[in-house]
Amino acid sequence: MEIEDLKDIWKKQSEGFKPKDETELAAMLKVRSRSIVARLKRNVWLELVFTFLGAFALLSYALTLPEGSLKWTSISIPVLFAIYSLYYVKKLRLLNRFESANDNLKANLRRLTLDLKGYLKFYRRSYSFLYPGYFFLLLLFTAIEHGAAGFVDKMARPEILITLLLGAGLFFIISTWLTTWYLKKLFGNHLEKLEGLLRELESER
Amino acid sequence: MTGDEKKFIKLINEHQGLIHKVCIMYEGDRDVRNDLFQEIVLQLWRSFNSFRGESKITTWMYRIALNTAISGYRKQTRNIKTEDLNEMHFNISEQYGGDEEEENVQKLQWAIRQLSDIERAMVMMALEEISYDEIAETIGITQNNVRVRMNRIREKLRRIMSAQHGN
Repeated sequence: MEIEDLKDIWKKQSEGFKPKDETELAAMLKVRSRSIVARLKRNVWLELVFTFLGAFALLSYALTLPEGSLKWTSISIPVLFAIYSLYYVKKLRLLNRFESANDNLKANLRRLTLDLKGYLKFYRRSYSFLYPGYFFLLLLFTAIEHGAAGFVDKMARPEILITLLLGAGLFFIISTWLTTWYLKKLFGNHLEKLEGLLRELESER
Repeated sequence: MTGDEKKFIKLINEHQGLIHKVCIMYEGDRDVRNDLFQEIVLQLWRSFNSFRGESKITTWMYRIALNTAISGYRKQTRNIKTEDLNEMHFNISEQYGGDEEEENVQKLQWAIRQLSDIERAMVMMALEEISYDEIAETIGITQNNVRVRMNRIREKLRRIMSAQHGN
C-alpha cells in the first residue's frame, strides 16, 4: 500500500470532525496552560508564596519571644528562607527558557534536552548544598541551646562524635537518594523520551 | 476581544483541521485529545506575536502543534501498552463491522500509532500533501533526509498494514 492510497482514507477522518466555533476558541485563550513547564512554574510560585508566608509567620512569632536561643533560632530560619527565595527565582528563570516552541522539532528537542538537564543539575546541586546547611544549623542551634562550653564538652566525647558523623553521613545519603529518586520520578521518563527522539533525528538514516 | 485576538481566532478557525489531525495522531483518548487541542491553541496564541511571516503560516502552525504534542505536554492517562494496542486493533473490526470506510480510517490510525513520534509527524504531513521542503523545515532535517526517511516509513507502514490484513 502506498502513501497515495492512504491519502483517501486519511481525508475521510476529517469528515466526522466538528469544528469549534469562535466562542469556544476565544475561551481557550483564557484557560491555564497544562504544559509541563506551566505546571512546574505554578509549583515553584506556590513554594515561593509558602516560603514567604512561613517566613513572615515565624518572624512575627520570633518578635514576641523574650531574648534567648529560641528567639534567635526563630529569626535565623526566616533569614534562611529569604536567601532561599533566590533559589526559586533562579528556578523560574531556568523554566522561562523552556517556553518557546517556535523552533523546528530537532532544534526544539535539542534545546529542551539541554535545558531540562540544566534544570535537574541545578535542582540536585542546590539540595546538595542545602542539606549540609541544615545540618550545620542544627548543630549551631544545639550549641546555642546548651551553651558553647557544654557543647564543646559534648562534642569532644568520641561516642557523640562518631554518632554525629554517622548520622550526618546517613542523612546525606538518604536525602541525596530521595532527591535523585524524586527527580527521576518527575522527569526521568520525559527526559529519556526527549533524548530518544533527538537520537532518532540525529541519526543519518 | 482585541484586534489581535480576532485575527488569531480567524486564523485558528481557518486551520483548526490541522490542529485536530495532530491531536488524532498523538492521542487516542477523546478527552485527552481535547486537552491537547486546547494546549496547542494556547501555545500558538503565545507565539502569535512573534510570527514574522518568514515561513508559511501552516509550517509555523505545524511546528508549534507538533512540538507541543511531542515534547511539551505530558499525558494524564496511563501509557498505552503493546497488548492494549493489539486489543484495540482486534476491536476495530468488531466495532465498525458495517462501515468499511470508518474501519479503514481506524485501521490507518492504528497503523500510524505503531510508528515513532517523529515518523508519525512525517507521515501525517505527507498524507496532508505537504511538500518535502516544508516537512524538512518543520522537522529540522534536509530534504534528502526526508526522502530517505519517507521511503523507510512507507515500507514500515506497508508491513504493518499487510500484517493487519493477514489477521
